[in-house]
Amino acid sequence: MSIEHADLLCERCDRVTEHELHYAGRLLESVRCTRCGHQLSMTHRALVPAYLHDLEQRVASKPQRLYHRALRDPRGFLRTLPGAVLRQPAKFVREFWSLVRR
Amino acid sequence: MLAAGEGRRVGHDTNKVLLPLAGRRVFTWAVRWATTLPHVSHVVLVIRDGDQDSVRSALARELPDTAVTVVTGGASRHESEWKALCALRPAIEGGETDVVVIHDAARPLASAELFRDVIAAAERYGGALPVTEQPALAPLHDGGAQVTDRTVAVQTPQAFRAEPLLAAYTAAEREGFVGTDTASCVERYTDVPVHCVTGDARNIKITFPEDLFLAERLLAKADWDLSAPESRVPHRRRLAHGERG
Repeated sequence: MSIEHADLLCERCDRVTEHELHYAGRLLESVRCTRCGHQLSMTHRALVPAYLHDLEQRVASKPQRLYHRALRDPRGFLRTLPGAVLRQPAKFVREFWSLVRR
Repeated sequence: MLAAGEGRRVGHDTNKVLLPLAGRRVFTWAVRWATTLPHVSHVVLVIRDGDQDSVRSALARELPDTAVTVVTGGASRHESEWKALCALRPAIEGGETDVVVIHDAARPLASAELFRDVIAAAERYGGALPVTEQPALAPLHDGGAQVTDRTVAVQTPQAFRAEPLLAAYTAAEREGFVGTDTASCVERYTDVPVHCVTGDARNIKITFPEDLFLAERLLAKADWDLSAPESRVPHRRRLAHGERG
C-alpha cells in the first residue's frame, strides 16, 4: 500500500485541506481529510473486483511498457530488470494482503 | 495544459494534478489523449513553481515520446495562460500554429474526441468551448424571476484561433486586465465568436476526494482508453492477439 498527500476540497470543512490517500496497487482505496478526519473508502465488495480488473490491464500492458523502457535505455533496463522481477512477488503479496485484511 | 493550480496551498503542499490515477499522474492522462490527434504539434505544460522535478520525472516515465515544453505559471489562471502563450508566440507568429487549445490538467478524462471537436469548431468559428446542459439549475434574475435561457456548465478544453488569442492576451497584458477564463479575455478584446460544442459528462474536474474514485471508475469503464474511437482496440482483444499495451 502506498500513501500520498494532496490538497483537495473537503466537503465537511468547506475549504481546501490536506488529504491522505491510500492506494492498493494503483487503485485508490481511501481518502481522509487530515483536518476533520472525514474519510471516504471503497467498500471491500467494490474494491476486489475493481482491483482484479485493474490487475488484468496492468498485466496486459506490461510487455509493451517493458519494451518501451528497454528501447529508451537498454543498459539501464538490463541492469534493473533482475531486481524488478525479484521484487514483483513481494509487491503483489503486499497488495493482496492490503486487500484481504480490510 | 494548465497544471499550476489556483495558488491555494495547505498541508504538504502537493498539487492534485501530480496524484496517481490508475497508474499515471493525473496531468499526463489528458496530454496523452490530446497528442493522439495528428494535428496537435506543440504541448506546453504550465506548472507550479516547486513542481519542476516531479513533473519532469513523470513526463520522462509516462510520456517519453512526447515533446512537452514546461513553463512555470503565475499567480492566476490568466497569468499562467499568458505564460503559455508567450512560449507559443514564435510558433504562432511563424504560422506553424493555427489553433491554441487551453485545458485544465485537473480534467484527466478529456477524450481525444472532445479535443478534436473543439479544435474543429475553433477552426470554423474562431473559438470553441465544451458545455454540458444543467437542467437541474434554475438561474434567477436579481429580483428572483427565473431566467428562461438554458443553463450550461462550461468545461475545458477550450480552443481559439491562435492569432486573435495572442492579440487578446497581449492587449490584456498591456492594460492589466485579468480574465476569469480564456473566453472572457477573448470576448473582451476581439470580436471572435465563441461556439459551444457538446461537452462530455465524464470530463470531470478533480476537486473533491470522491472525484478521484469516480475518475478511476470511469477510466476502467472506458478500458483506460479515451483515444479517438477509430484508433481504439480493447485491451482484452490486444491481449488475445498478442498486441500488448
